Amino acid sequence: MLKFTRNKLATVYRKDGRTLAVHGVLEDDIYGFEVDLDIGLFNLEILAIRGKWNRMENSECPRAIPFLQEAVGFRMNEEDFTRKVQKIVGRKACRHFADLILECCQTAKDAATMILQEEGQEKPPDIEIDELFGKSKPAISVQEKNHPPGPEVTGGMVIDLHVHSLPASPCSTISVEQLIEQAKEIGLDGICLTDHNHLWAPNQVEDLRQKHDFLILRGNEITTEQGDILVFGLEEEVKGVIKLEALREKVLQAGGFMIVAHPFRGFLTFGVGYLGLTKEKAMARPVFKWVDAVEVLNSKVSEEENSFAAQVAAGLGLPVTGGSDAHGPGEVGNYATRFPGLIQNEQDLIKALKKGGYSPVTFRNK
Amino acid sequence: MADILCFSRNRCTSIEHVDDQTIRSTCRVQDNLMDAYVEIMVKLPDLELIQAKGEIRRSPQGTDLIILDDLQKVAGSRVGPGIRKIIGSIVEHVPYAESVATLLDECCNGVILSFARDVFLNAPQDKAGEKLFFANMVKANPRLYNSCAALTPDSPLMESLELDKN
Repeated sequence: MLKFTRNKLATVYRKDGRTLAVHGVLEDDIYGFEVDLDIGLFNLEILAIRGKWNRMENSECPRAIPFLQEAVGFRMNEEDFTRKVQKIVGRKACRHFADLILECCQTAKDAATMILQEEGQEKPPDIEIDELFGKSKPAISVQEKNHPPGPEVTGGMVIDLHVHSLPASPCSTISVEQLIEQAKEIGLDGICLTDHNHLWAPNQVEDLRQKHDFLILRGNEITTEQGDILVFGLEEEVKGVIKLEALREKVLQAGGFMIVAHPFRGFLTFGVGYLGLTKEKAMARPVFKWVDAVEVLNSKVSEEENSFAAQVAAGLGLPVTGGSDAHGPGEVGNYATRFPGLIQNEQDLIKALKKGGYSPVTFRNK
Repeated sequence: MADILCFSRNRCTSIEHVDDQTIRSTCRVQDNLMDAYVEIMVKLPDLELIQAKGEIRRSPQGTDLIILDDLQKVAGSRVGPGIRKIIGSIVEHVPYAESVATLLDECCNGVILSFARDVFLNAPQDKAGEKLFFANMVKANPRLYNSCAALTPDSPLMESLELDKN
């Protein structure tokens, strides 16, 4: 039985010698809308944009229309063009409009290539797949320095094990300096930088630590076919997507530790009932066979999804952690992990993670 | 002079529920340069991708059929957050990687939207009911808050949410 259809149409004609006029229509079971764009033939710049709703999800969707103008001036051959449209138009206006704008732009780019080739002119520069999904960096060999002992801590240490900084994580909007300042301000004892598939150089982190007199540790959020995994103690930059089993092998060899991050992110958006996902079925997911712990407090998922993760971890008898998954100002420390002992460096952290006895905590007043 | 089209693209995504546990999602694109499709099979309740296949029937290089065998590597992953990155990695060495990634992405997005459709079918039509419905939806899924123009803090749909905060 047909459950859903989405049709997108993008058409292009030459408005004048230098401008392409692009008309886009999206019709699916939920949404119906149109956009008209003027795009520079040679520089692939969005010169003008107009949008119109025909059918929408709710009565406030028309508020999106004025924000479409944010895309005017964007050029398709600019680095991060796709991400900019998704981030700016998608969030300020509507992600479905952003999607149709990108469809129109890609169509215009192909049209421009064809036109210019036919006319024997220069082809517009390509946007490579790396620019869409982020380029991996070469492996770095690292060794941690001995750190001076930190301040005496009673009642354990509270560390945010999951934070993202810009530019190491392009999806983040906060610099590492701001993250550290905010973490100190709210009284965290430390943070762990877990930028996506990015390994911080130890000397960089050491400099930050000395500058701010604050515990900064290194981790990594690595994408696997089974979802995102927080990895600690792996001194290797993992490129792209890795098989979870292969990652496990690397981490075991390195003596590191693996935590499955936000294991049910997005899965309970429509309620458990819609998908028929039960605790028992979730416990059987392969990912839980290959990790050492489960992140059960993450501020980017719903309370229901966190609670479900906690139930699954309890059912499996796996240790649990918390982390903010901060990507912007005011988020670091939303959730964190309380460790019973003193942690002064990454070796201490891994030892503590393996030893157990820690617990996820709500730290910042939400 | 008539405004004759110089380029046109059609993209159609359709989602079928094959049985209680299986969803088929197909996306086909046809334009001046390309005719291609991708089909995925997804298993409930995990939205696990169990099969993916596709073909490029026409491309800028000609009309030789290109079978997209590598897509099956996506099997075992789940449709949901993070899938775009996984797709990017899987299609990296596939011909016309960017176009194929878009087709796969559309298939996955369609699966999610087919569930969203069921949610919105139950949305009340009256203003008060609508406000309550969307406020409750955002309460249950906080990442939706401020995620689009309709769900910004100053949107009327978020009024009751603001009252709760105070």
